[in-house]
Parts: sequence; C-alpha cells; structure tokens
Amino acid sequence: MKNLTILLIALVLAPFASSAQETTSLKGKELFGDMRARHIGPALMSGRINDLEMHPTNSRVLYAGTAGGGVWKSNDGGATFSPIFDDHVQSIGVVTLDPSNPDQTIWVGTGETWTRNSVSVGDGLYKSTDGGANWKEIPGFENSERIASVIVNPNNSKEVYVGVLGALWSDSEDRGVYKTTDGGATWSKILYVDKTTGAADVIMDPKNPNVLYASMWQFRRSGWGFSSGGDKSAVYKSIDSGATWNKIHNGFPAGDLGRIALALAPSDSSILYSVLETEDKSKNGLWKSTNSGQTWEHLNNDFGLVVRPFYFSRITVNPKDPNIVIKGGLYGSISKDGGKTFQNLGSMHSDIHDIAFHIDNSDQMFTGTDGGVYRSWDGGVTFEIVENLPLSQFYHISVDDATPYNVYGGLQDNGSWYGPSSSPGGVNARDWNSVGYGDGFRVLKHPTKNIVYSEMQGAENVWRYDIDLNRTKTIQPLAKKGDAELRFNWNAPMAVSTHQPDRFYMGSQFLHKSEDMGETWKIISPDLTTDDKNKQDQSKSGGLSVDNSGAENHTTIFTIAESPLDQNVIWVGTDDGNVQVTTNGGKKWNNVTKNLTGIPANTWVYHIEASVHNKGTAYAVFEGHTSGDMKPYALKTTDFGNTWKNIISPDIQENAFVRNIQEDYENEDLLFLGTEFGLYVTIDGGSNWSHFTNNMPPVAVHFIDMQKQTNDIVMGTHGRGVIIIDDISPLRELNSSILEKDVHFFKTTPFTMVEESGFAGSFGGETQFVGANKSTSARIVYYLKKRHTFGKMNIEVQDMQGNKIADLNAGKSKGINVVTWNYITKTPKLAKSKTMAGGAFTPKRVPAGKYKVVLTKKKEVFETTIDVIYDEKTPTTLAARKEQEALTAELFDMVEELAYVVNEIEETQKFAQKMIEEQPATTKTAQKLNDELEALRTDLVITTGDNYVETAEPELRERMADLYGSVASTFDAVSPSRKDNYILIKEEMVAAKKRYEGIKNKAGKKFKEDVAKTGLTYPTMPTLEEFLND
Amino acid sequence: MKNIKNLFVAAMMLAIVPAATAQNVDEIIGTYFENTGGMDAWKSLESLKMSASISQGGMEIPIEMYQTKEGKMSITANFQGMNMTFMAYDGETAWNTNQMTMAPEKLTQEQADNMKLQANDFPSPFMDYKSKGYTVEYVGEETMEGTPTHKIKLVQEPIMVNGKQEESITYYYFEAENFVPIATEVSMAGQTMKDTMSDYEEVDGLYFPFAMTMMGGMPLKIKSIEINPEIDAKMFSFPAEAAAKE
Repeated sequence: MKNLTILLIALVLAPFASSAQETTSLKGKELFGDMRARHIGPALMSGRINDLEMHPTNSRVLYAGTAGGGVWKSNDGGATFSPIFDDHVQSIGVVTLDPSNPDQTIWVGTGETWTRNSVSVGDGLYKSTDGGANWKEIPGFENSERIASVIVNPNNSKEVYVGVLGALWSDSEDRGVYKTTDGGATWSKILYVDKTTGAADVIMDPKNPNVLYASMWQFRRSGWGFSSGGDKSAVYKSIDSGATWNKIHNGFPAGDLGRIALALAPSDSSILYSVLETEDKSKNGLWKSTNSGQTWEHLNNDFGLVVRPFYFSRITVNPKDPNIVIKGGLYGSISKDGGKTFQNLGSMHSDIHDIAFHIDNSDQMFTGTDGGVYRSWDGGVTFEIVENLPLSQFYHISVDDATPYNVYGGLQDNGSWYGPSSSPGGVNARDWNSVGYGDGFRVLKHPTKNIVYSEMQGAENVWRYDIDLNRTKTIQPLAKKGDAELRFNWNAPMAVSTHQPDRFYMGSQFLHKSEDMGETWKIISPDLTTDDKNKQDQSKSGGLSVDNSGAENHTTIFTIAESPLDQNVIWVGTDDGNVQVTTNGGKKWNNVTKNLTGIPANTWVYHIEASVHNKGTAYAVFEGHTSGDMKPYALKTTDFGNTWKNIISPDIQENAFVRNIQEDYENEDLLFLGTEFGLYVTIDGGSNWSHFTNNMPPVAVHFIDMQKQTNDIVMGTHGRGVIIIDDISPLRELNSSILEKDVHFFKTTPFTMVEESGFAGSFGGETQFVGANKSTSARIVYYLKKRHTFGKMNIEVQDMQGNKIADLNAGKSKGINVVTWNYITKTPKLAKSKTMAGGAFTPKRVPAGKYKVVLTKKKEVFETTIDVIYDEKTPTTLAARKEQEALTAELFDMVEELAYVVNEIEETQKFAQKMIEEQPATTKTAQKLNDELEALRTDLVITTGDNYVETAEPELRERMADLYGSVASTFDAVSPSRKDNYILIKEEMVAAKKRYEGIKNKAGKKFKEDVAKTGLTYPTMPTLEEFLND
Repeated sequence: MKNIKNLFVAAMMLAIVPAATAQNVDEIIGTYFENTGGMDAWKSLESLKMSASISQGGMEIPIEMYQTKEGKMSITANFQGMNMTFMAYDGETAWNTNQMTMAPEKLTQEQADNMKLQANDFPSPFMDYKSKGYTVEYVGEETMEGTPTHKIKLVQEPIMVNGKQEESITYYYFEAENFVPIATEVSMAGQTMKDTMSDYEEVDGLYFPFAMTMMGGMPLKIKSIEINPEIDAKMFSFPAEAAAKE
C-alpha cells in the first residue's frame, strides 16, 4: 500500500515537473513571493467615502464604499471596519445588499460618482455570493467607469437594476439604466438618453417593485473645466419594471437642469424628495412630491441644499419617519418637518456625501465624508469619527533620511502631514504631524535643515515650516512689476535640489527658482506651456452652478526635476503636454515635445524622473485620462530628450494610466510604475512588467519615492494612505540565471541590532488603525524555484563553528521568501514552580559577528553567511557590551543549573514517595530525605499562590530570573547595583547547592542504603546536559 | 503489475485533466485522499496524537494535541515547566486553563456547541462530506504560495459567533501538482485568516503536513504524529467533573 502511494505521487508529479521548468520567467506574481507591502495609514483624517450601505436586518453589519480605497465592512456596528475588496479596483460608486439574502449577496458598482477633478475610475460591476470573501466581475460593464446605483428587487433576487453614470471625461454609450432578470447573466439597457447623459440616481418603490424612478444627468469634465447641466437632464418614472419611462417634471421650472438627487420615503411610498440644479437660482434646492411624482412643490433653497450639486446629491429619508430628511452637502442638512426648514448636521469633517440611519434607532446614524465615516448617537447633533479607516488620499509623498525615515505628503481635502515610517508599537494616529491646511499636495523636507515646505491648492499658500521653532512663513512666488499673471496648477509643482540645500523650485507657467528657501524668487524660463487661452477661462467652469475652486487651472507646469548629477540639467513637464529641458540652468530651454513617440498631443506630463545613472537619462510618464484616454504611457530618453523609447509592455492593464515612475538607484533596469490600478515592477528595463499584489490593492498610486538608506519603495496612494515595500534590493539581483537555481540566497548588508527598548502605549488600539512597522530583524531572503510541499525543510542560524543558535520558520513559497531573525538565541530553561517568572521570558541576544544561515531541504543543505553588528548610534562601549554578554551568559547558565537541581530534587522526592508507598521498610529514611528536600525546594522555588495577586514571596528562582532578565535585556553597561545583586544571588546559589549536597550526603545516603537493601535499583538521574537537551 | 499499470493510466489522466477542463471537485478530493494514503486507511483512523512546538521570542513551547474520531480533543502546552490546557473538549464541555490561577475554567456554551459541530470532521471535513450535509464547490485555479492551486470552497454547518449565526466557509487550496492542500482561508468577523501547510511526511501510510500555521499565521512545527495512540480519556474532561464522576 505504502509503496503504491509513493509511486502514485511520483507518477502524478512527473508530467508537471517538466512543464514547471519552462515557466521560470522574469514576470508574474511568483516573482515577488512573500515580499509584502505594509500599510502605515494615516487613518486619523481618513479619506473620502462615496456610499454607505446598512444590512437590512442585522444592525451590527454595515458597509462603506470608498472613493479610492475599496469596500470596507463593519461587523461590530460601525466601531471598526475591514477591507473586503482588495483584489479589485478601489474606486467605488455603490454597495448594495440583496434584501432577500443580505448576509451573502453583495453587489458593488465601481467608479466614484461625486465627480470632482481628482476622482479615480472604476471598471465595472462585481458580485459576491459569500459575504464578500470572493468576488466575480459581472460581464457587460467593463467600460461603465462609474456606477451610481444597483437596485435588487426585494421579492426577486434575480431582478437587478444598474444605473451607469458613465465616463466623466468623454462621450460614452455605456451610460443608462440596465436590467437583468437572471441574476446578472444577461442585461438589457432599458433607459438611455445620449452619450453625454448618465444615470445619477435609480430608485425603486420597495412596496411596489414595478415602480422605478431615475434621474439622468448631462455632465462633462475636461482638464480645464467642468460642465453640469443641459436639456437632457431629467427625472423619469416607470410603472412597468422599466419597460416604459415618462418624464415627471410637473411643477419643475423650464430650461436646463443639472444633477438631480432623488429619494423615496421608505415608510410612505407616495412621498418623493428631489434636489434640483436649475437655470433659476431661486428654484434650486429641495422639491417634494406627495403623490408619487405626479406633481412637485419647491420647498427650500438654503445654501446647504444647493451647494456644489456635482459633489453633493444624496438625500436620505429616515426609514421610520417621512418628515426626517437629510441632504448631503458641505456640512449636511437635516429637516424634521418634511423639508420646510433645515439645520446643519453637527460638527464633523466637511463634505458629506452619504448618510445612513441605523435600522432600528433613528437617533443613530452614519455619514460618509471627505474625511471618513462618522457615527452619531443623538440624531445628528454630535459626531465621532471611525478611527480605523486608513483611506487617506495622497497627491504626493516624499521621504527624508532620518532613522526611521519620515514620510511627507499632502491629501485631498485633508491638509499636509509628515509621520514616521516606523514607530514604537506601530505607526499610530498620534505619530502624524500636521504641516499644512486645505488640500495638501507636495510636501518636501529641506535636505539638511529641520524645515518642511508644504502648499495648499493652486499655491494659494506655500509654507516654509520651521519644525524646531514651530513657525511658518508663506513663500509662494508672487508676480512683480512687469510679470504676467501667474498660473499655478491645483497641484502645483515644487522641488528641492540635491546640489544646493537652500535651493527651492516652483512651477507656474514659468519655472521659479529661489536660492534662499523662498525668500527671493527668480523666473528662469519663458512660459513653458502651450499657453492655450481656450483652456484658461476657469471663471465660467461648472455649468449651471459656477464652480471655480481652482481645481481646473490649466496650461501650467506640473513636474520639475533637477538632475541629481548636474544642477544645470532641469526637466519640466506641463499639464498640456510639453516636455522641456535645459542643460545650462535655465538660460536656454529645449522643447523636446516633438521628439516624444506614441504620445497623443497635449497629454498631461505627470512626472519626469531625472536618472541617477546618466545625466542625459530621464523617464517621463504621461496620462490622458482627463481627455478620456486611459492608456498607460512611459518613455525613457538617454540623450536629453532627443530620442525616446517606449517602456510600456502589454503586461500592463490597458486602462491603467500612469502617474509616476521611480528608478532604482543601483540597477537601471529595475523600475517601479505607479498606475491608476496599483504598482507594476520591471526588472528588465520595461520589457516585462509584473503587477505587485502582495498586500497591495490595485489602488491609484500617485507618487513613488525610494528611500536610499533602506531601499524601501514608498508609495503615496490616493485612497489607502502610504504603502511601503521594505528593502527591494533582492529585485536588483534577480535575473534569469537565478530563476533557474533551486535555491538562491540574496546578498545582504550587515544588520544592525537596533538597541531600543522604549515604551509603546497601546491605548485606543482596540478601535484605531495602527500601521505596520518595518522589522528591525535580520532579513534572510531566498528564492525557491518550486514550492516546498513534501519532506522536511528547516532553516536555522548557526555560529561559525556550526552550533545551532536559533530555529527559524522557513517560508516555502515558490519565488522570493523572506524570513526574519531578531538576533536572539533562546530563553533559559526554568525550574518548575507554582508560578511563572517574568524575567526568564527574556531571550539571550547574540554578540555581533558572522553567523551561518543553514537551509535544509530534505537532504540538501544550502548555506549563507550574514553579518550582525552593534548599534553604532548608542554610547555603550564594546567593553561594556562584552561584560553584559558574559554576565548574561553566566546568569543564563545559573538559571538552568537551578532548574536542573530542582528537577533532581523533585525526581528524588517522587522516588522517595513511591518507596514509602511500596516499601515500608524504607519509610523512615525516605520520609526524612523527602522532608529535607521539600524544605530546600520551598526555599528555591515558589510553591504557593497564583500568577496574579495571590502571589507568594519570590524565592531564589524568581529573584535569579528577575536579575537575569534585567541584565539580559539591557543595552547599557551592567549597573553596579545589578552586580551587587549578582554577588548576593550567586552566594545563595552556592549555598543552596552546598545544602543540597549536604542533604544528599546524609539523608540521601541513608535512603540509598535502605533502597539497596530492598534489592531495588536507585534511579539514575539525568546529567545536566541530558536535562537541558530533553 | 496490472494494478501498477492501472495506476499509471489513472495518474496520467489526472495529470492531463487540469489543463483540459475545469476540475471536478470530487476528483480533486478523491485524489487527495488517494495520494495521502487511501480512503480506507483514512477511514480506519481512530485518533491522533501530535507533538509539536511553537517558537516564540526564543521560547520553544511544546504542544501536545489529541483528537479522536468522536470529536474529543485536547491541546496542552508546557510553559516554564507548567502544563496548561489551551483547549479541551469531551463531547459536551469545552474548557481551558486560566493563566492567572492555572485552574480549569469552562468555555461558553456557544464555543462548546461550535466544537460539537466539528465532531464529525475527523480526520478531514472532506471525508464523506455529502453525508454530513456539507457542500463543496470548485472556485478555480489560483496562484497560492507562488504555485498553481485548485481553490475549493467548503461550506459546513453554520456556527454561532457572538450570538449571531454565521455561515462556516473555508477555502482550501490544493496544489495542482500533487493535490494536497497547501493553504486554507477562513473569513472571521470580516478578517480573512490564511494558514499554510507543508513538509508532508508519511506516518504509517498516511501523509500529514509537519509544518503549518494556525489561527492565521502562527507557525507550528510538528515533531511527531502517533496514529491511534493510547489515550487517557480524563484529559478531555473538565477536571472538576472528572473528579466528581470518580
């Protein structure tokens, strides 16, 4: 049987073994193995929420569909949330539960629907039938871009309506209302207006599912303007499940309409609320119908109801009371009299996009804002933020060279910040520091001084913040006499220099340079843009409601890159498609736009990366999504822009437009690409790209930086905060010959044993997001050609003589495996007792030096060597370290020797007791020995009490373990006080052993003689070595 | 010889199938049992003892686990020379050791009820899954641990979580090359817990993973596995009750 089984396995394996060898390639998921990204948030300001969904019967469960961070589910009534959509596009329009099967069936329409300038895109419709663990894309909506509504018939799970708002920056025939009657297998478009007009709201009368309402919205955005409204915007009603539709405008003003919000009172289906954007300002705002849409009455045009219709168009009616109505808005507005009067909701982050009432208690509600999800317990008066939604939306990030390094960046509607990449206990909310108001964009650290530059939208303010003095100065370039009016992008570019620490660049349509940290400015270029006047009239932007926030400013410089190799080489890219370069510090500019290959005219130059490898080398990425062109574009030049080479391969999703590229500082062929759908990596200069998906959702990556000392890739995402991939250096080494090896250890640089032992209060950790830290352990990284499944595989650390120091938990994945070792050997074996001894939980650390890492895979052995060094930043001397190590070792051995002695005592006692029971002739000597040993034992170890407050007085074991723990855990010299205590403990140990010998020589000897008389053998006690190895 | 030839043909068939069509889920499960010792051998298994260790902060914590066909189980650990029960269940009562007092305490009735539901899952929930009322579904081929796998969804009896009934769904990843599970995923309160299995080795004709993670990533190394070991039934019972019955 056994042989046959093995044979069978061998046979099954055989055909695969040959095919597996062919699959080694330079791309794919397995390339990264278990190199995992870590998320550090921040979550304290969270990010934009698009849609909230309550479970209809279980008040513990609710969902948040976020603008750029996926779908999050709460199982605890909104106290905490977890992401459930991390394998798919992160921009969410709507989350809908099937009312008949709300635990299992979830529909997600992707693509956010509050159409500001910075929105991400969706890619269709998804369905889960297992409560969100797995998702299937529903075919037919791949080009929908934005889905505003999904409605499931409460009486028939197979009947579903989908409202497609559609493309924001282009025409689309995918817009309209769709219907399926077979659970999503086939769809028909049941309402379509035209290529410019999408479905903004689709609702159903839950009491009569044949009755549907839809609001259609004519809208368009470009890189330089926005338009809401037209003669196609309208409200429609169907009473035959979508077969026919009629406009229901009885009472509405004539003329064009803009975005229209719609809601039906769940407790009274005849009552409808609508918010209109019209040509007549006095008719904007709330309209109400009390006869299912036959007629409408205008009730209110308060600011809170009419503000920014494209951004706020959600009405929520209390499920129990048709007169309690909330409208999303700058602050959110609540009416308790059926819409006659409104008041603002209580204080919370501004820009309220959705509101959901608790299913049973109208005093409780949730809101989704530009700054996360909020809860109210008192009917909307007071709000508290959900603290574990790390949805921050970065436009840009940068890093410094501190240890641990800090990450700087600006956020959509949430200011500018910096925080540590690691922090005691994890990266907490309290670790982040505010360094700018408004919308935040680029934040740069001065290369040498404790000064940070930050900005708000359109460079309305650029701050130079002195961290030590806690003082700011506004330093944005202003026009002087004779200058043209300056045009700054919403996300205005700035740059510092690696050559001159006080140098600071900013871009309007001109390149501005300051040599004194922004005190004085000099324009060092002509207008580098196309200066197309047709793209400069933002005062008329918005359509029916003017919306000139600065977000549409165009024909501006967007990216600035000074070559790290030559300060006279400066690259500039503009939002209207120009790439310009100077090689003489701005005296002469070369417009190299005409040399670009494969880039449509006027495509936004999002980022230029000046190479560290050659001064003529640069990378430029282009993105045309604001003209409806979602294709990825990235070019490389090696001759100052005279010729360019495409470095995009078909591996990249066809609509994953690119915002950023980062080159490796060592290997020119290793590149990182930030796209709308996550991170791509190439190790061969762009011939092949692989999507990085290990704990990295396909979130929009707006900016990537590489931290030089750590080789970390740091990403500013627009929806999931800062995401870091620690130490990518193994990717530098990876090539096809390594991929052919069964096992390959990647090179390592010496590991510093970080000597920190501070505190990390975990208060609030129950409900707050805490970002993952970078491990300070040694990282042993190896490649496995094949997943290890059968037979033993172990990794251990050995000293150079081959003695085992530590056992590690080996990774078995195909591809790259990362195993860590925190420089410890083991904890001492402790004497048995009634209670625990805290000090003995401290492991012994290793001294600095070389160590072998030995990987045993079945019978094969693979080895590498690593270097471990002391923390040079601490003042501890080498002599002090050696003394600490020696005393630690001595105490370690003493703790184990005591364990050995106590074990022997207990074994002897056991035998003595056995003899008392079985051999009465030995009772006298056995009892005496037992009693003497017990008296000794109770002086050596605790024999009563518990591990909490019923504690006994510490005995030798506990005092010795405490001293061991104190000495073993210090990074400092051993203090005189500890040395004094050591003398005491050691003397006690010597005395205890002497006492034990005394007992053995007298009572023990007599007992042994008695045992011998019975003819029985006295048990052999294990040696110290045997005991320790047991 | 004839048998070996048949096996060879069967093996070739199995090897070819994955490329050709979507996998038949029963074929995958059947092949798993066959490749790891055969259904008859698995069915004759009465109980198991596993001796394992967890490495944590320089400590090697020895663990002993017993499981029986009737669903009884016991997991004990030795901590600084003290034995404590992480979890024990005798078919009715589930209990563990309080780490402050080192005294036994009962787990909630909800936990005990959930343990009872697992009583028919020894040695594998896939064994006779249909007669237990479980459903399995082939989800598709997926890369797990860098290697191609067959992903299978297993739905067991609903369990109670904090007073609410929840579906009990586990995803198993069977390595395509050899049809043994190398990873599982369970959704608990919105969080997906992934565990892996490797180092399969043979014990008296049956193959078991000797390295695995538990509870979403805690590594466990198995030192030895004993089939149908000697069992003192007392280890499963709540000590006070055990004493009272004597």
